[in-house]
Amino acid sequence: MWTIHRYPGLWLLPALLPVILLTVYPIGHTLWTSLHEVMLLFPGEPFVGLRNYQRVLYGDYFGVALRNSLVFTIVSAPLAVLLGTLIALFLQRKFLGSQVVRSVVLLPWVLPGAISAVLWVWVFHPSFGFLNGLMLELGLINSPIGWLTSPQTALGAVIVAHVWTQIPFVVVLMMATLSTINRETLEAAAIDCRNPFKRFRYVVFPEIKSMLVVLLVYNALTAFTSYDVVYAMTGGGPGTATTMLSFQIWRESFSMYDFGAGSAVAFIVVVISALLIVAITKALPSDLFAGD
Amino acid sequence: MNMWKLLATSAVAGLMAQPALAQDVTLEFVVWNYSLETVLDNIAKFEAENPGIKVNVTDYAWPDYNDSLILRIRGNTQTDVVYGGQDWLPAWGAAGFIAPLDSVAPAGAVEELSKDIAPYALTDVTYDGKVYGLPYYSDTISFLYNKKILDDNGIEVPTSWEEVTAAAEKLKAAGMDKPIIYEYDQELPNFYDAFVAQAYSRGAEMFDADLNPLFNDPSNGAYQQLEWIADAWSKGLVQPDPHESTIITAMNTGNHAFTIVYTYVLAALNDVGSQPLAGQFAMAPMPGETHATLGFAKSYVVTAQAAADPARAEAAWKFVNFMAGKPYTIAERWAVEKGLGFGQLPLFEDEDVIAAWGKWADMADLGAQAGRAKAGTYTEFSSMWSAYFRPLLAQAMIGETPVADVMNSGAQRWSELKEQFANR
Amino acid sequence: MTGRLHPIATFIFALLILLFSGGPVLLSLYGSVVPDRVLLSPNMNLLTEGPSFETYRYVFTGQLPDSYNAEGANRAMISDAARQVPRALVNSSINALAAMVLNIILGAPAAFVFARYVFPGKKISFMYLILSPLVPAVALITPIYILLQSMNLVGSPLGIILVHTAKALPFTVLILSVFFRKIPGEIFEAAMLDHCNRFQTFWRVAVPLALPSIGATGLFAFMISYSEFMFAQILSGSSQTRPVSVVMAALARNTDVSWSLLNTAIFIAIVPTLALVILVWRFVVEGLLSGSVKG
Repeated sequence: MWTIHRYPGLWLLPALLPVILLTVYPIGHTLWTSLHEVMLLFPGEPFVGLRNYQRVLYGDYFGVALRNSLVFTIVSAPLAVLLGTLIALFLQRKFLGSQVVRSVVLLPWVLPGAISAVLWVWVFHPSFGFLNGLMLELGLINSPIGWLTSPQTALGAVIVAHVWTQIPFVVVLMMATLSTINRETLEAAAIDCRNPFKRFRYVVFPEIKSMLVVLLVYNALTAFTSYDVVYAMTGGGPGTATTMLSFQIWRESFSMYDFGAGSAVAFIVVVISALLIVAITKALPSDLFAGD
Repeated sequence: MNMWKLLATSAVAGLMAQPALAQDVTLEFVVWNYSLETVLDNIAKFEAENPGIKVNVTDYAWPDYNDSLILRIRGNTQTDVVYGGQDWLPAWGAAGFIAPLDSVAPAGAVEELSKDIAPYALTDVTYDGKVYGLPYYSDTISFLYNKKILDDNGIEVPTSWEEVTAAAEKLKAAGMDKPIIYEYDQELPNFYDAFVAQAYSRGAEMFDADLNPLFNDPSNGAYQQLEWIADAWSKGLVQPDPHESTIITAMNTGNHAFTIVYTYVLAALNDVGSQPLAGQFAMAPMPGETHATLGFAKSYVVTAQAAADPARAEAAWKFVNFMAGKPYTIAERWAVEKGLGFGQLPLFEDEDVIAAWGKWADMADLGAQAGRAKAGTYTEFSSMWSAYFRPLLAQAMIGETPVADVMNSGAQRWSELKEQFANR
Repeated sequence: MTGRLHPIATFIFALLILLFSGGPVLLSLYGSVVPDRVLLSPNMNLLTEGPSFETYRYVFTGQLPDSYNAEGANRAMISDAARQVPRALVNSSINALAAMVLNIILGAPAAFVFARYVFPGKKISFMYLILSPLVPAVALITPIYILLQSMNLVGSPLGIILVHTAKALPFTVLILSVFFRKIPGEIFEAAMLDHCNRFQTFWRVAVPLALPSIGATGLFAFMISYSEFMFAQILSGSSQTRPVSVVMAALARNTDVSWSLLNTAIFIAIVPTLALVILVWRFVVEGLLSGSVKG
């Protein structure tokens, strides 16, 4: 690591400026809104301090939305990273058809959330869905299961769909990371250490640790604030089974015309997301931020 | 690519330096994206008849329509004529977002047209005693069934909700897993509409004349209907489905016998061009003592922003009048081509409509149902309340929360909102 | 990666991956060549009826499927929005390409200095970048809309590109900095000995070495933009400039779209992008597997 004595503006500002432009005012505006009573149908926007936050925290749907969001995140983020990493490790080999597999793995990435939702609705639909059809044909079940419409399975079904959309991203980045491992180190390890698991633990894992952390953080953030796919698949139902915090924001703001409350939920989400990130980075330390 | 063409064209136009026509107005028309090509074609016809007025269309998907409009209001994007939904109309009126049609129309024109509008449609486009919109699509909610399935199983068309349960149980015993398929998406206003329609069919009212909630009374028809739905669910007779478009596909597998949706879905169900079981579906009067149902109207509405500018106001009225006023050609077109219901009474006797609709429905039945239809109760705060109440309804239906709790919570919230808005 | 795996195990894993990742898309392909009346019937299927491309024909030429010419059919009961898909594909690709290019150009230099230098204000700049995506996009819709409206960018593809670029930048910078970090220090020291200044080090040494990683990150930015729906929806203008994510969402919720037509639209939306992604990916993978970093 070398030192620069002046702030390298020319290097940094081109990246920072667009981000600043689209974050400072919007976040400031949202924060301001969360501290005022901003309801579409009432003129005037008086300052109400933390009352919006209070109302939201004690509201009917907050608890269940928080719980759903947390479960969703805690299950899908590690699952996506785990599956993606395993697939990336697997794809390091050359075998007949490996090129095809490497390309097919990217498919879920190419689809906008609304389309993924349609496809998975088709897979899960009780009347004409593929999964039910297959299971009925194989005699595993007697009558179709409403994966998306029964409260016990709805959350699981949307988690599957969400993880499906996130895996290619993990695979791509993990493969890129794995490639940076020095080939000679690998060959030396193969000679020294016969057990592939030990090889992984002592040679490969340290190299990919920082990327793992990044991926976990990114996936956790995405899952915690996810909106598109789940909404398109279940509309938050059945009942409150798949209602998440991101819905609450939308619902408070646009359905109930209460932008103050919606913004309050947003900032609560920010706090929780920050805690999540801190928890993840503390649990899996990496040298990302350390100096040389 | 388009941008360059635009720049080039403007450069040329600028060079030619035409003096602006005094009446050159471009109206911003916001719609939800049903059959956009037809809308554009209608607009082309309008522009041909009205040189000097251009109409620019922006469309949004139906579930995002309300949010997008709210964004436009808050962002001050130029918006002149919009599709109005009956559940949002009072709120928009109260927010000062839309203008009464009288403020942009020639004297007496609106009153004249109102005479031709079906009662429930007229109620839906009226706020605070003034008419704000002319009907675009007006329809009722229908109880639909598969004729062939009932015939094959020797079941009579149900005339009461108890008979529906009995029929469904008989079908289930014969092997049909979920005879009733129900549109179940708590984020859509139609979810609440369908429930109200069922309540009306029992002769019940949701609110009294003073807007006090009646539905939390166990002897009220709405209460009993929610109990009926929860009961049917618990017996495994009902399959929830998130959207009417997948209901159409599901019904066409022959795995379901009954559903409750907007009537125009029947046209899609019976569409010979794409559906395998087209022709098997029919409408029955809503089971329940009075067989009444919910009627509603979506309309063309002029914004306050447009009304404030005389040139725009005049253009906006001409446009709205073209689309929904006499001789009702556009409304007739929607009815004939897409099976969209209409709020203009004379069209019930229109030959083309009768001929087109005869293919997928019985006109006499439809007319009779329109006669029994009642409008819903909409206030400034009713759509906010509905957003709160729908998830509760959803929970009651699947048995997650007792009906009594749901109804009481709903009534309480309504009363709270009513008071809040009275002191506005 | 050394170590052999039993060929059957390899085959099974490969098959599982193929089925899981590709299964839903195959379903879509199946649905697109099988009209509803065949799809929903228990007796007929693809094998008995053969594939039918009438929905594809409709999307590209507007010619109605044969069943619509039957007696009693309603010729208008078919969505015209489906015909917007090819155009929307082009729009999405343009937006995504622009966002990708901008992300690489703006993000790589920043990632480089974060990875290899210490300077005043480093921590706070990095933190800002990393923490900025914390606020859920749903909450920011209104202020961003108002902001772009004031810049007159609502309805213009530029608005969408700006939002997408800003959305992907924090991650682009973060990920690229991880890759730049991985380049061994000795290479840079050698460059210093050759009297390379900072920019030359970046341009002549770091970038070529990290090229596959840059490719991968660029792909990532492309995907964020291509599949983004929320802002594309509120910022999209006319149906001519609309991205495909918005068109697809609309198609999925209209009643005049048969299931078969919907799947056709989906498949059309997938194929060109998939081709593009595979091309870029092959370049990236070849670079990665051949080992861009020698000992």
